[in-house]
Amino acid sequence: MSAISELSKLSTRRALSPEDRAARRKEASRDNKAGYLFLLPWLVGLFAFTLGPMLASLYLSMTDYNLIQTPSFIGLDNYARMLDDARLHQSLRVTFTYVVVGVPLQLAFALAIALLLDKGMRGLPIYRSIFYLPSMLGGSVAIALLWRQIFGTTGLVNQVLQLFGVPATTGYVSDPQYALWTLILLHVWTFGSPMVIFLAGLRQIPTMYYEAASLDGAGRLKKFLTITMPLLSPIVFFNLVLQIIGAFQSFTQAYVVSNGTGGPSDSTLFFTLYLYERGFTNFQMGYASAMAWVLLVIIAAFTAINFFAAKYWVFYDD
Amino acid sequence: MASLGAMGAGLGLAGCSRGGGGGTGGGGGGGEDGVGLTFTWWGNEVRNANTSEMIAAYVEANPGITIEEQPGEWASYWDRLATQTAGNTAPDVIQMDMAYISEYGQRGALLDLAEHGIDVSGFVEGTEASGDIEGKNYGVNAGINTPVIMVHADLLEELGIEMPDDTTWTWDDWLELATSISEASGGDVIGTSTFISNDSMLSGWLRQQGKELFVPGNEPGFTVDDIVTWLEYHQQFADAGAIPSPSQITEDSSVPLDQSMFVTGRTAMSMWWSNQLEAVEAAAGKEFAFLRFPSIAGDALQRKAWYKASMLWSVSARTAHPEESVALINWLINSTEANEIQLAERGIPANSEVASAIEPLLSDGQQRVLTFINDIVPELGETPIAPPPGGGQLSPLLLRYATDMLFGNIGAREAAEGFYDELTAALGA
Repeated sequence: MSAISELSKLSTRRALSPEDRAARRKEASRDNKAGYLFLLPWLVGLFAFTLGPMLASLYLSMTDYNLIQTPSFIGLDNYARMLDDARLHQSLRVTFTYVVVGVPLQLAFALAIALLLDKGMRGLPIYRSIFYLPSMLGGSVAIALLWRQIFGTTGLVNQVLQLFGVPATTGYVSDPQYALWTLILLHVWTFGSPMVIFLAGLRQIPTMYYEAASLDGAGRLKKFLTITMPLLSPIVFFNLVLQIIGAFQSFTQAYVVSNGTGGPSDSTLFFTLYLYERGFTNFQMGYASAMAWVLLVIIAAFTAINFFAAKYWVFYDD
Repeated sequence: MASLGAMGAGLGLAGCSRGGGGGTGGGGGGGEDGVGLTFTWWGNEVRNANTSEMIAAYVEANPGITIEEQPGEWASYWDRLATQTAGNTAPDVIQMDMAYISEYGQRGALLDLAEHGIDVSGFVEGTEASGDIEGKNYGVNAGINTPVIMVHADLLEELGIEMPDDTTWTWDDWLELATSISEASGGDVIGTSTFISNDSMLSGWLRQQGKELFVPGNEPGFTVDDIVTWLEYHQQFADAGAIPSPSQITEDSSVPLDQSMFVTGRTAMSMWWSNQLEAVEAAAGKEFAFLRFPSIAGDALQRKAWYKASMLWSVSARTAHPEESVALINWLINSTEANEIQLAERGIPANSEVASAIEPLLSDGQQRVLTFINDIVPELGETPIAPPPGGGQLSPLLLRYATDMLFGNIGAREAAEGFYDELTAALGA
């Protein structure tokens, strides 16, 4: 601890009189009030449309509610039932596979394309838009319907394969071995939004680091591993957290591709899909609400693990 | 700073809102003197056009009434109705199905029509009580139908296979016929669309053994062993190549009518309801032959057929306009005007006067159906009871376990036990 560093910590502001200090506090609280007033519409929305229903759902998760009659309180029975529910365990397996396989694949693909685009080329904005387009459409019903058609028994993929003489007769969306992979493929196909963020992150890395590394004789891979990845790690972390949260909540694609059934032999029975079936098809909204809260806890746990692990591999250079 | 805050508030509110649901609430609307009703049904193109026409005719004849139409497709219809009922926005007039009427009726979501002047005096015997559950009338028969097996007669002729005599054929004959069709066509045309999870065929087969699908008291009327036998019977179809692959079965269960394997000519036989003949023939662009379902004894008089209410008309218990809703339903079931528009698309009208009045107007196909419905009177057994709450799950549950078995993941006994356990749990819930 040098004298200089100590001295630099001394305050150099003018001393304030008590009246001046009171006046400053009053002005600050007036600014705060104005801020809250502007926030009020959004806060009303938050409480009315998000927090309110969440609390209602928490209450419903402890009731037996068939949508038609008033709910009746049953305590933690719904949660206890989950322990014996074989289909719930299957849905957890399916969802975890989807997240653990789909998210890294998608991010790796997004990073690869971003690295390609980072080189800069003629028509870069066009390429960027084209690659971004699927992620905007990917969550839609129309694309999911198209996916079901393309990967069906008489779909486009099989027709193209047959043109090349391959005897392609499997319906990928209706075969338990392949159905989940078609959904993972759909998820990877929507790599556009993490890609755009990666691209922005890559653009922010100062080129002088690469130049210095070249002078020292570093090859492309070395540059990637020692410069790009560490400096990009906050972006990777951001994308990882967001994509995991999003992947756990996937519903539309699974619902449309399997027509609401969870696929052949429950191979695409996502947690959210099973939740929906329990709530709306089987008239067991209490159990479905309990499932929703379990999903919340799972996502929160994964996010917490992410943040905890971040200390070891995310490098902030400021 | 302040302007950013205001923008943020606006965006926040926009972000908070969810996508709007379909249709507005029941009752309400319609101007000062007028009454506004909401009317929901599931259907196909033919039915949607007919219903719109009928509604237009009714509105013209009854000024002061406006009707908001909410058509839908079978697959998503029940999810939507459940949500609407939960949110207290259920439509006034609801097209109901036997599979769900207990669910909604016994839980107080449907009006007791008898207390609001429903008129079923002209109905054929046995059809006036279709929607009666524990003494309350929750729905009225919107049309009679009965299970039929439709066949591509031309494909059979091409392959040189004889049409079976449907008054004497047995379940094993169906297996043989389907196998021979698959073999004769070299796999181009598969013998039959599967009926492994078809609750009406299972019901017919059980009834011929003195059992039923459901018995009073919210219980199944069959045992696990019955299902084991049923599944093993169908495994024979799969082993002989007489039904499509489990993948194709899964796909076929989720496509609309005009894309099904039967309509596109990839299978030669399939079970349908008699009132679907018109829509199926329109989609395929040709005529089909239809047969009675088989009997165990090989005698049609013992096959215990039944008239099913193809669908029913119900009214929401929370409607603001019970009288007008019931008046609309009375018009739909008892007026020749309404039935001259829709003819027999929803089934043969249960009102015998109306049925005879429209007979000369029926299309060729519907005439054949009407003749069939009248011909099978000596083959009828007692009408099965409405499935209890949760009973509507029988078909999807059986499909899931059956395809699991056909994929080779589990054996017939395991599938039967799993299905039976889940069904009894659904019935008891």
